[in-house]
Amino acid sequence: MTENNRHDSDGERTAPDGGTTAAQRHRETNYLEEEVNLLKPSTEFMRDHLRLIWTGFIIWAVLVFGPVTATALAPETMTMTIPGGFPLHYFLVAIGAPAGALILSVWYARRRDALDEKYGISHGGDA
Amino acid sequence: MSLLLPMQSGLLPEGLNVSFKLIPAILVLAMLGLFLVIGFVFKVADTEGMWVAGRSIGNVENGMAIGANWMSAASYLGMAALIALSGFYGLAFVVGWSTGYFILLIFMAAQMRRFGKYTAPDFVGDRYNSDTARAIAAVTTFLIGFVYAIGQARGMGLVGLYIFGDLGILGLTGYQSMVVFMMTITVGYLSISGMMGATKNMAVQYVILIVAFLAGLYVVGYVNGYSTVLPHIEYGEMFSVLSNEFSEPFVHQSYYLWIATAFSLVVGTCGLPHVLVRFYTVESERTARWSTVWGLGFICLLYLSSPAFAAFGTDLYSNQIGDVYGDPGMTSAAGDVIVVLAAQLSNLPTWFVGLVAAGGIAAAIATVAGLFIAGSSAISHDIYANIINPDATQRQQVLVGRLSIVALGVITTLAALNPAAPIAALVSYAFSLAGAVLFPMFFLGLWWENTNRQGALAGMTTGLIIWIIPMINEVLPTYVSSLDSTISPVLAQWVPAIGSALVAVPVVFIVTIAVSLATEEPDMETKRLVRQCHSPEPMDRMESAEEVVSTDGGEDVEGGDA
Repeated sequence: MTENNRHDSDGERTAPDGGTTAAQRHRETNYLEEEVNLLKPSTEFMRDHLRLIWTGFIIWAVLVFGPVTATALAPETMTMTIPGGFPLHYFLVAIGAPAGALILSVWYARRRDALDEKYGISHGGDA
Repeated sequence: MSLLLPMQSGLLPEGLNVSFKLIPAILVLAMLGLFLVIGFVFKVADTEGMWVAGRSIGNVENGMAIGANWMSAASYLGMAALIALSGFYGLAFVVGWSTGYFILLIFMAAQMRRFGKYTAPDFVGDRYNSDTARAIAAVTTFLIGFVYAIGQARGMGLVGLYIFGDLGILGLTGYQSMVVFMMTITVGYLSISGMMGATKNMAVQYVILIVAFLAGLYVVGYVNGYSTVLPHIEYGEMFSVLSNEFSEPFVHQSYYLWIATAFSLVVGTCGLPHVLVRFYTVESERTARWSTVWGLGFICLLYLSSPAFAAFGTDLYSNQIGDVYGDPGMTSAAGDVIVVLAAQLSNLPTWFVGLVAAGGIAAAIATVAGLFIAGSSAISHDIYANIINPDATQRQQVLVGRLSIVALGVITTLAALNPAAPIAALVSYAFSLAGAVLFPMFFLGLWWENTNRQGALAGMTTGLIIWIIPMINEVLPTYVSSLDSTISPVLAQWVPAIGSALVAVPVVFIVTIAVSLATEEPDMETKRLVRQCHSPEPMDRMESAEEVVSTDGGEDVEGGDA
């Protein structure tokens, strides 16, 4: 394939000196030269993004599998009636999980937009 | 082997008023007519237009399309059914089918949009540079459409009984006649409109089905004195009067099955081809993200209502028909129409009950539309045009696409004449398949650039095998008269067909990673393709990762001189 990048492979890894901003370092990164590995983020952007993703994922896992597991472990406590008439486990699963996932999604999408802003990226178009 | 076509499956929801009703029938037919008119106005003949509706759809509209595409008869009817019949276990469906969207959002939505391929087989074929991988993905997509649609056909057949009564076609039972009738309408409609029409319909379909469902919920709650302004919370007061089985954990099914089901539904959500295609139709990756959020919001509107509707229906059933649990208890056929039954048992006018029923039919048709299009494009585009006849003209491709839709319609109808399980369980089989075969390929393909062709082929084959074994074990016996109900109960306990992805996904991940490590790394172009999916650089509306990578690397211009 034609290799007519503006960057030479050596130019990419400009060490981020204290004075540059995330947006500047972003412009100096050639994302096509950096490995993609879920467990080993190779760019500053990817590190920031994955921190967001894993935080969300852990909260999600607790939200989705936490209540049902707690119910299996401590059925007495988890099935007690809460104000509103619901047994606790039923409320956490039927209402807590879907509503929680929705709130978490809004949180992620907003934080992801903030990440774009930090790196000086604009998607243009509507939005 | 004696594959018998069951001729006397008399699924008949007890308590449901089965007769021809004029106004509800007009409602359904008017609705279908509206879909066809919209479909006709946006009729398209070229393949490009068939597959994706020209990438010009915004957040909210795409969110609604996600919602309509997603909320099938399984959500509209089947979920309330399982909550009513299986109590706490039914909530695994609420959780699996909604919270999975968050995983889709954080790991895949935007990256898929950047990859920029139209279909799941296209993604797999291009990411792994393999026509064999593409073919396996295409066959999987077709199978998913087929299995998924059986549940929809069952839903349409049962609800149709309320509206059209017993048609008695060719000596079939009322339920079977209705399946044939509704599937004929669905396929006829689909063959004409193609995807442009379907997409434009989807916002309309979403509005119809959510209005019908919420109207049903509010009115049923109000006239029976269950609720006033917020039935989604107010049904809490009913737990003291409802039978214990409605809420007590793990009395119907075990903790393990709960987790297996929820997990399977989550990964299935992330692997379903007709869901992913929604991200290719949006303007930018940001729109892909936000329309996922909107889509989840639109889905939650129904999912938070479903348990309330199930609670109302359960109470009405036990007051007017008999005990819901125990022997004989509520049948799965009655469970599957509990939403309609609740409206009918509240003595509401037939036109209103008909509206609730019509919403269920809208839900089924909208989803079958998305599924059959994904399945037929897999056949015409990925298998026919890419492998069998590379010189195929557009006209030939469209023809093959339409023939595959008819074929899907026919086999779905046949399988639905005597369905093996309630709607939601039937649909879960498709989720297990998507989760076991496609999800690992999407996930690893996007998040680990060293996943290679050999790994993908080994992984997909493993996934298919792990999916098929429990299907043979539990589902096949329904269709083969010489087999008992379940071949191996132990296998069914640990690798249940309804949640086999819990076992399959880790195994497929390990196989794919191990084989990828043991064989040659993918070439640099493929790696750059993956990197382009994660680069924060914005992409043009019509650009795919492949184009960016093959031109100049798509990197910023201004950065070069910095």
